[in-house]
Amino acid sequence: MPFTDHEILETVRMFELETFDIRTTTLGINLLDCADPDLESSCEKVYAKIVHHGRNLVETAGSIESDLGIPIINKRVATTPIALVAAASGSKDLVPFARAMDAAAEEIGIDYIGGYTAYVHKGYSNADHALMESIPEALASTSRVCSSVSLATTKAGINMDAVSHFSKVVLDTARLTASEGGLGCAKLVCFSNPVEDNPFIAGAHIGIGEPETVLNVGVSGPGVVRSALERLGPEADLLAVAETIKRTAFKITRMGELVGREAARRLGTVFGIVDVSLAPTPAVGDSVADILELIGVERTGAPGTTAALALLTDAVKKGGAMASSSVGGLSGAFIPVSEDAGMIQAVADGALSLAKLEAMTTVCSVGLDMIAVPGDTSQATLAGIIADEMAIGMVNQKTTAVRAIPVPGKAPGETHDWGGLLGTAIVQDPGRFGSDVFHARGGRIPAPLQSYRN
Amino acid sequence: MTKRFLTAEDVRRLGGPEILLEEGTVVTPQAAEAAATAGVRLIGPAGAYAPPLPDRGPDAARAKATLPHLPEPSTTDGIGLVVTVVGRNRPGVLAEITAALASHECDVADISQRNVGGYFHTVFTCAVPPGRDFGSIKDSLQCLGGEGDYVVRVMHESVFRFMHRV
Repeated sequence: MPFTDHEILETVRMFELETFDIRTTTLGINLLDCADPDLESSCEKVYAKIVHHGRNLVETAGSIESDLGIPIINKRVATTPIALVAAASGSKDLVPFARAMDAAAEEIGIDYIGGYTAYVHKGYSNADHALMESIPEALASTSRVCSSVSLATTKAGINMDAVSHFSKVVLDTARLTASEGGLGCAKLVCFSNPVEDNPFIAGAHIGIGEPETVLNVGVSGPGVVRSALERLGPEADLLAVAETIKRTAFKITRMGELVGREAARRLGTVFGIVDVSLAPTPAVGDSVADILELIGVERTGAPGTTAALALLTDAVKKGGAMASSSVGGLSGAFIPVSEDAGMIQAVADGALSLAKLEAMTTVCSVGLDMIAVPGDTSQATLAGIIADEMAIGMVNQKTTAVRAIPVPGKAPGETHDWGGLLGTAIVQDPGRFGSDVFHARGGRIPAPLQSYRN
Repeated sequence: MTKRFLTAEDVRRLGGPEILLEEGTVVTPQAAEAAATAGVRLIGPAGAYAPPLPDRGPDAARAKATLPHLPEPSTTDGIGLVVTVVGRNRPGVLAEITAALASHECDVADISQRNVGGYFHTVFTCAVPPGRDFGSIKDSLQCLGGEGDYVVRVMHESVFRFMHRV
């Protein structure tokens, strides 16, 4: 037999019992040629190009699912940052672009499209400013469009004016989508050092160095890693833990490589990257927090959590890098609080605070993801939370992000359920002390020195 | 006219009984509607306009040439699919599965079976004749059994090859 029973059953078990899946196949589409001095024409082109290229995406992913026998959960589209496309139109209101993207996404049968994006880490173009201003209405009046903004990079520093502006955008978006618990903010994220080939919503977009079209794949498999560690048992030392995670990540990533190659071939486009992030879902067992607790912390957030997460993230990257020459995107471990049943339990048990989450983001792949804050959080406080996270990314030359949701009418400790993949959140307490003077100063935090790294 | 897109505004501006489009031009739905309303015919290189195949860009052509040559894990000659069956043991299970495989002309290369208590799991590796549609074989096999009986899972051999071979 070309494969042993053990190998075959291991693979089948991953898919059947350990909730392993290909989380997303994301088609990147360059929209720069949709720029037009006429706003209406530009939006027409955006719609036409997304539909033209994306029409076969869902069908192709379905055929791969059927032919290989492995599940592909999401099919999505990422576009060029719309601020770049919209600049030629000179329009102050860019919501029509969001509507065009939303309509195109509906036409091709996908649930989310990313790329309502601006890069403002050093300053604004007129179009960047117009896009930022239009985000609340764009997210409130569409259901599929996701927005992201670059606020900081290691080379440019942090644009604190933009951080403040972004905080206002988040609060306005929460107000406009108050009836859904501020749901619009789940489609809005800011970045330090954004990656230009991120296949995962809400930050998905393709940068200007990317091809005309590109197929990126995101794999997931917290359940598989969890089971492997369960089998390893609590006696094994940390080197064995790292080795086990690495081997598991290798196998997971190989599936991403297989699907990525096949999807690109069938769509006639370029295979871009496999994002090897461990992306949890609210499903039982599909949790990054469970992995950390199996490594040995009593509850996620307990002392040792950051170290355990560092081990996990690094082992995932190492396994992934051996499995594919095209590892990219965010690639690490996601800790979206509301989307991970174990994280929610940790918050409910009082083990996981906002401060500990922030510490954890220094070693994992994203940042403060899907955290609920009180609906009456001030712009200055939200800006402070975002600036802290941007600083972590800037100084450590890594991607960090903030996807915070001020839940209207909710106070710290209260619960809100968004349902579906977005899960349930317990509102976090940002503390009672503010940073109003820091916020009011505005300006830019200069780029950090890259030498003397202590 | 040389354009990557034809918009409604273009149709209004150009007017006329017909607009000649270069190969690869994408007509937006609004432009098509405006042309239909104004009675303007859209003419592509081969007669009436038809949406072109998507132009995936310069890198796509190169990818098409190189992708098949990327090193793949060592081949498993002739093996097309791996069928795993798990369930409650009873007479006739093997016969049902192998009959379904035979109806698709699949050649069973290897079988392995374990029984524990009243339950069994069986693994088949099968060769699939060239040109056979994997999806339909999979669908007909996965229809077999059922709740309280047995469950069949069919996967392509490349899944195992990519995961367990380098």
